[in-house]
Amino acid sequence: MSERTNQEWLADLNGPPAVQESALRELRERLQRGIFYYLSRERSDLAQLSHQDINQMAEDLAQDAVLRVLDNLDTFRGDSRFTTWATKIAVRVAISELRRARYKDFRLDDLTANDELPVGGMSNTSPQDTTLTPENVAERADVMAKIDAALKEALTERQYQALDAVVLRGIPLEVVAERMDTNRNALYKLVHDARRKLRAHLEAQGLSVDYMLNLFQE
Amino acid sequence: MALDRFRKLADCLSKKHDADCDCDAAYRQFECLAEQVVQGADMHDILPQVALHMDQCPDCKEEFEALVAIVRAEREHRINE
Repeated sequence: MSERTNQEWLADLNGPPAVQESALRELRERLQRGIFYYLSRERSDLAQLSHQDINQMAEDLAQDAVLRVLDNLDTFRGDSRFTTWATKIAVRVAISELRRARYKDFRLDDLTANDELPVGGMSNTSPQDTTLTPENVAERADVMAKIDAALKEALTERQYQALDAVVLRGIPLEVVAERMDTNRNALYKLVHDARRKLRAHLEAQGLSVDYMLNLFQE
Repeated sequence: MALDRFRKLADCLSKKHDADCDCDAAYRQFECLAEQVVQGADMHDILPQVALHMDQCPDCKEEFEALVAIVRAEREHRINE
């Protein structure tokens, strides 16, 4: 079967019922194959699932993706293949769902308001840090204390919360945004602002990023 | 674990960032960029702002890499019809 052109996809998806139904079926099957490939080959966290389970996931996600594609047809600009654009949407649907499932029990409260980055003592060295002198250890502890203070002084509570969750703990932006009652884009900008303020605050105290990187390198 | 977090923070602060390219702006370019990457292009050459954004945004990077993986597999006929 030859590939539809972009124009044919758009025309058929907007066409009379029988034509539209055929196009929708073909689109759904294509997106399902792509999602199945991704879930089965690229996601080691799903390795324990059976072929049947992954197939069912792919089918459900493809159905959701097709609806999302239809809702956004008027935003297709035509500067890529239609199928690539549709697959982009399907990928977001799939990955968003996987994130929601993985972090369904995550709460921002789990990141306590006064969750300090512990300083001092052996807790700040890894077992392999046998090359560190007592001076190195003390220097690290001193800088860690300054960074911890800077996090509190330079950032609002919301900025700190966002930076901690996204950057330090690696929680997906999408998940944190939902918990903070905002959107992913706004959260990205919030984290960006937090980074910028923190960096300026530290540099004003004579702590350059290069110095910190060297100090904490393994 | 605390030391690891400081390293992450220092690493994050060291990265360049373009405030003009947020998640929405990057997402709008994904399909075009993915097709070019599959054909062998380096995204840092084509759309450096988007590439920079993905260096800072694991969410966008994850989605983009997934898209590239699928498109590449389709082009190489590794996804069965």
